Amino acid sequence: MTAGAVGRSVRRNDARGKVTGETRYGGDLAGVDCLHAKVLRSAHPHAEILGIDTTGARALPGVVAVYTHRDVPGTNKHGLIRRDQEVLATRFVRYTGDAVALVVAESQAIAEHASKLIKVDYRPLPGVFSIDEALAPGAPRIHPEGNVLGKKPILKGDPDRAMAEAEVVVETTVMTQTVDHAFLDVEAGMAEMDGDTVVIHASGQWVHEERRLVALALGLPTERVRIIQPATGGAFGGREDIGIQIYMGMAALLLNRRVRLDYDRAESMIARHKRHPIQIQYQLGAQKDGTLVAAQIRVLADEGAYASTGIAVLRKAASHATGPYRVPNIWVDVTGVFTNHNPTGAMRGFGACQMAIAYEGALDALADKLGMDRVELRRKNLLQAGDGLTTGQVLNVASALECLEAAQDTIGWSGRDYASPKPHLKRGYGVSVICFGLGYGDGFPDTSRARVRFAEDDVLELYTGAVEVGQGLTTAMAQVAAHDLGVDPETVRVISADTHRTPEAGSSSATRQTFFTGSAVKLAAFELRHQLMDIAATLLPIHPDELRFVDGFIVHADDPATRISLQEVLTEGRKRGFSLEGHGLFQPPTVEGDPNGLSPRAFITYLFGAHAAEVLVDVETGEVHVQQIVAVHDVGKAINPQLVTGQIEGGVVQGLGMALMEEVVRREGKILNPNFTDYILPTMVDVPPIHAVILEHHDPGGPYGAHGVGEPPLIGTPPAILSAIADAVGCRPSELPATPERVWRAIQEAKAKHGAGAVGEAAGVS
Amino acid sequence: MLTHPSEGTAPSRSADGTWHLSFTLNGERVETEVPPTTTLLDVLRLHLGRTGSKGACLEGECGSCTVLVNGVPQNSCLILAPQAEGTDITSVEGLATGDTLDSVQQAFLDCGAVQCGYCTPGLLIAARAFIDSCDHVPSVDEVRRGMEGNICRCTGYMKVIDAVITAALVDQQEGR
Repeated sequence: MTAGAVGRSVRRNDARGKVTGETRYGGDLAGVDCLHAKVLRSAHPHAEILGIDTTGARALPGVVAVYTHRDVPGTNKHGLIRRDQEVLATRFVRYTGDAVALVVAESQAIAEHASKLIKVDYRPLPGVFSIDEALAPGAPRIHPEGNVLGKKPILKGDPDRAMAEAEVVVETTVMTQTVDHAFLDVEAGMAEMDGDTVVIHASGQWVHEERRLVALALGLPTERVRIIQPATGGAFGGREDIGIQIYMGMAALLLNRRVRLDYDRAESMIARHKRHPIQIQYQLGAQKDGTLVAAQIRVLADEGAYASTGIAVLRKAASHATGPYRVPNIWVDVTGVFTNHNPTGAMRGFGACQMAIAYEGALDALADKLGMDRVELRRKNLLQAGDGLTTGQVLNVASALECLEAAQDTIGWSGRDYASPKPHLKRGYGVSVICFGLGYGDGFPDTSRARVRFAEDDVLELYTGAVEVGQGLTTAMAQVAAHDLGVDPETVRVISADTHRTPEAGSSSATRQTFFTGSAVKLAAFELRHQLMDIAATLLPIHPDELRFVDGFIVHADDPATRISLQEVLTEGRKRGFSLEGHGLFQPPTVEGDPNGLSPRAFITYLFGAHAAEVLVDVETGEVHVQQIVAVHDVGKAINPQLVTGQIEGGVVQGLGMALMEEVVRREGKILNPNFTDYILPTMVDVPPIHAVILEHHDPGGPYGAHGVGEPPLIGTPPAILSAIADAVGCRPSELPATPERVWRAIQEAKAKHGAGAVGEAAGVS
Repeated sequence: MLTHPSEGTAPSRSADGTWHLSFTLNGERVETEVPPTTTLLDVLRLHLGRTGSKGACLEGECGSCTVLVNGVPQNSCLILAPQAEGTDITSVEGLATGDTLDSVQQAFLDCGAVQCGYCTPGLLIAARAFIDSCDHVPSVDEVRRGMEGNICRCTGYMKVIDAVITAALVDQQEGR
């Protein structure tokens, strides 16, 4: 073998353009003779539209067109799972981001001005702005079928009886907040006609699905829609729901002109879906020795105005309700309810991160009640190989305990020091252990295809429909393509995310691309390798089984001096009419849950991780200063260790933001902080040293043993920080984020309940 | 530092209300006609086609649009065109010399400090200015305080901090 393309920190193939400023994102695409579109959004969180008067807008010089729902050429609907969201509102608006009209003009300024001249006659309707309001008797109905999106229950064993017989029971409640993806590259792009085909340059997470949705809305066969992804400045689930693509495509098609659409930060935050705020009541029953016997978990999620990917998020929440712990008797009731808020859907962590906050919090409460060490309680109950998850799925490999031990070792858990620099600063330590099922799971079709070929210039080309959004996918996939062919991965030409040129790879989400597209690429390279071996075997001549691919040569395994260059093999192959390409298809099935939500194969494989956090809490101000975070993740195999630690560090900081500062604040459905001044994101001064630790337990299902890493580093962070806060001051806020005010209030409540001396006494107990 | 237009070289106003603006961009004299309410970021991106500088928040919070104005890092989204009159601007496109990357660009590549890359141009400019303002190789805490005006949503900052210190070391070794 060569030094091996897989397992090395090969430099990103897209980094040079990004440091020189040459890389073009959606907002950078030059538009000669380009029109500008602007979406008019609802003025109300819930209203009936009685009429729309576009006369004034149309009369403004420079306005080319003003469209309403009547002008949508195809089906006026979109949505990833349910097509329940209108391209342009017909009769009802259900949140303040709902699109009502579309203006196209000669300049952005004219388009914006014209959008303000559109007169919409609204009849405001009573709004629903919380889960409780949505479920209250007589609540305003947001959709004709009612305010419940759906339920995802799980019933395993006999939880009622087991809870009744448990020797110790704790119950905790936590309410998570609305989080924005806050990718820096706001939605922006360009659409134009190429003959009778609409070509849309915009950033999403699944170009082929976006093509289907655009084709549906535009009333075109899918072949007449082409989506090309420009460079993309982050996604984190925020580009899963379709956004600008339909509007730009519609204007380009109807006007046969090139059209740009650029959101600003406020529109990006007001229009886009969010992470689900979830209320979780968690009851945990155990024996006195700490053995878990039952969990009863009631989950209510604010789904916002439309389905988005909500039902899948709810399913993921349910199936991860007890995390990496062995609980024989489980009842989970997950209900998603509609409100007049932004739709909630995909965001890194996808329901599993809210549940991790709940189960880790409940375990800490149980440890307190039992007077047992937090870590010992976890060790006692962590899944081992052969144990069943929440869904009953049995794992052959479970590295949870090893992750926890590595996290403890790295932070120096046994010798942790509670010394404080100032009397008002209390030090605390926390741990969390998490698991995560990758891929769509639950029986949903999940497929990736890939194609590799040697081009006429002898360069290895990789074609994948998967989108690069910053994670390093095109680099890691080039490494997979190159590895078995003895090619330098830095020379691979990657053609990605163009519906007319690349095969469908599914979405860049669900931590799935390394596993799914990595496997498809490996299969494609394998097919190509066999062609080359057949050619080489006749030229050398040696039996194909004895050939190896090393640094651009095909060599005899036992006699490296007997070799032939790849170039010669390619030349000969072309002469003989070989295709010099290979195709890969990867589609491992999962199994939908039975009526009790149980499944022998809910997800194709599971990832494990453990975090440890150290904090200083200021008991006078409630401020939390994170001192360090350890994040241990079993990634199967790190195809590119630098990319993997980059994912871990980035996920940790997004988790830190969720734990301590990020929150979309609303009043009566209106977002009060749709900007980076008031929506607080972690900066360098907020971020402590992060120790990313990679474990590699070969995953037999993934390429070279790899499975993935995207979401778990976020998921493990909030529970570790919250546990550390509780360790420092003996209490924690039940609502997220743990802002100084919420932490301070929790401290005051604890003082009122237990006496002034209580706060800080817990430090050192566990 | 920036001056009020009346204190610097006065830009001239055209009859139609646009301003004839000239300044030095990456060592090259540039001139353009823009409405006076145009931000420097839009002048660079829309009028001059230099799209390396990015807009993300457009209110001076994220630093994606950072350029050097007379050697000082500034949010170009908060600067109006007339304020840029006669200044010397460096954007990300001006960091490299031909094919040779600046030490901060090279360090960002080597340390894996680039993910989605959208914040990268602003971070590179801020890093260049920060390193130039230090008379020693900065510590991790100094980098954190010195660069907190730039938000990155992907990397978690660890590799960015590494890259800044690495570039400072390289500069020191090369006597820059």
